[in-house]
Amino acid sequence: MEQYLELNYREMKDLVRQKLSIHVDIMDLLNKQIEKEAHSSSAYLAMASWCDHNALSNSADFFYEQAAEERDHMMKIFRYINDNGGTAYSPEVGGVNHDFKSLEEIFETALDQEISISKSIHNLVGKCRKVNDYTTEYFLQWFIGEQMEEEQTMRRALELFDLMGTEGLGLKLLDERIPQIRNKNAE
Amino acid sequence: MKVLHQSQFFISYQCDKQRCFFIKFPHKTIQLGFCQLLAFRQQVKEIDLEAHFNGQNTHGMEMLMLCNREHFFVFNTLESIDLKEFLTGTFAMLELNSLLTTSSV
Ligand SMILES: [Fe+2]
Ligand SMILES: [Fe+2]
Repeated sequence: MEQYLELNYREMKDLVRQKLSIHVDIMDLLNKQIEKEAHSSSAYLAMASWCDHNALSNSADFFYEQAAEERDHMMKIFRYINDNGGTAYSPEVGGVNHDFKSLEEIFETALDQEISISKSIHNLVGKCRKVNDYTTEYFLQWFIGEQMEEEQTMRRALELFDLMGTEGLGLKLLDERIPQIRNKNAE
Repeated sequence: MKVLHQSQFFISYQCDKQRCFFIKFPHKTIQLGFCQLLAFRQQVKEIDLEAHFNGQNTHGMEMLMLCNREHFFVFNTLESIDLKEFLTGTFAMLELNSLLTTSSV
């Protein structure tokens, strides 16, 4: 019976492979990643708003740009799924936090968020290896580099707090330094 | 046309000639392209079985529209449970097929 089954499957065309060049389980995880990037984008937007209201305009600009970048990440994955025969799902975003007590807390939250995204990407790469989805693994390489950079950026911001303090004039000066924390070694 | 997977209420078939799939429901059989099969899988994944038992889904019914709303289905609790198993099984068979065809080349 089992032998018959095997013969039967060998005769069948690999219709999935003809239509979808990535693995179905990987497609699910990529859709989860879309949700995470969308959530990151919304979270950064909330941080930008807080900074705006607290007269930290450079930090606000930084988080506005960060929000846009996360949306780009989301779209990259979205297009990748659809371009490879899968179906990408437009994410729902819920539970965005708008309450922060300081800019330092915001950057700490941002770093935690980037670390958890890195972990999620690494997890995805691990899964790709398990199912031999080399195409997606290759696609995800860019994200690994990107995550490394983003974590470093947030760490650089947190270093500034150690250096310049978290209140008064120090905070104002720190806000002026924010535009320089990005892309220090990227360009 | 070859059987992919059979559960208590449903049977999936693969048709190599037309490059498509068929699913036999208790009262009718429908034809699906691969994308439509993926969409079906997604809808079934989103069925919250727990809601059938904690009183949230009071009637114990799931309504699904398939193939760009061409078909409309209503499933009861038992069928919904079977449906989840059915799609997992169907995709497991497709994956097995993928493995066999790549390893035989
Ligand atoms: Fe990202
Ligand atoms: Fe990020």
